[in-house]
Amino acid sequence: MPGGAIVLDPKDLRPAGAAMLAVAAVLPVLPGDPGVPCPLRTLTGVPCPLCGMTTSVVATVHLHLGEALAANPMGVVAVLAALVLLVARPRSLRLPSLVASAALAGMWAFELHRFAVI
Amino acid sequence: MSEMAGSVQAGARASFGRRLGAWLIDVILIDIVSAIILLAGGRGVAYVVGIVLWLAYFTYFEGSDTGQTLGKRALGIRVYDFAGGAGAIGYGRGFVRAIMKYISGIPCALGYLWMLWDKEKQTWHDKVATTVVVPVSDYPV
Repeated sequence: MPGGAIVLDPKDLRPAGAAMLAVAAVLPVLPGDPGVPCPLRTLTGVPCPLCGMTTSVVATVHLHLGEALAANPMGVVAVLAALVLLVARPRSLRLPSLVASAALAGMWAFELHRFAVI
Repeated sequence: MSEMAGSVQAGARASFGRRLGAWLIDVILIDIVSAIILLAGGRGVAYVVGIVLWLAYFTYFEGSDTGQTLGKRALGIRVYDFAGGAGAIGYGRGFVRAIMKYISGIPCALGYLWMLWDKEKQTWHDKVATTVVVPVSDYPV
């Protein structure tokens, strides 16, 4: 839907953001290296736009910004967005479809380059 | 019937937080039983029983007249027929919804997170089973 906007409910996003931060905080201390392997990359070798997000969000929460930016820069954005949601508590959120599409395309290009596909 | 359908569309929806809470309760309950079977029967048996248990649990509870698992009951939410009616989806659609939960979880849980930006707050398993998840306060059991 070009020109449209994705309407997000802050009431839903706040617990989602809080859960993300909590999981990122405890993930490195859990036994057995519990990561989420990307099904697309596991099956085909081609990364998806969200590849590196777990690494990036965990690294950001532990203030390893270099590692976060190298894995997927959007992880830093996700942590900042979660903090803004929890602290500033905006009433409503609208994400222009164009911004969302551009962000996903950028993330994918970054990951494809990182895994030397392009 | 059409009046009922109209009342379900764009009505109250269960929040992500409540659905996450209910999911955690359900998964922990299923995992406890799976862990006991793992100790009693070994890895291969536990794996198969775990899947069967998952499908049976969600089919039985979400296909029931209340549309509530134990977790959903605790959090005051229920699965509801998006086509309206009395709300119950029956065991057939409950089974389809249970299977689809696996698929929803595969791409970074994208099928679950879908409700965050979906107009009717539907996950992929909601869409496939034509269901929504609603608060009991607005849709009494």
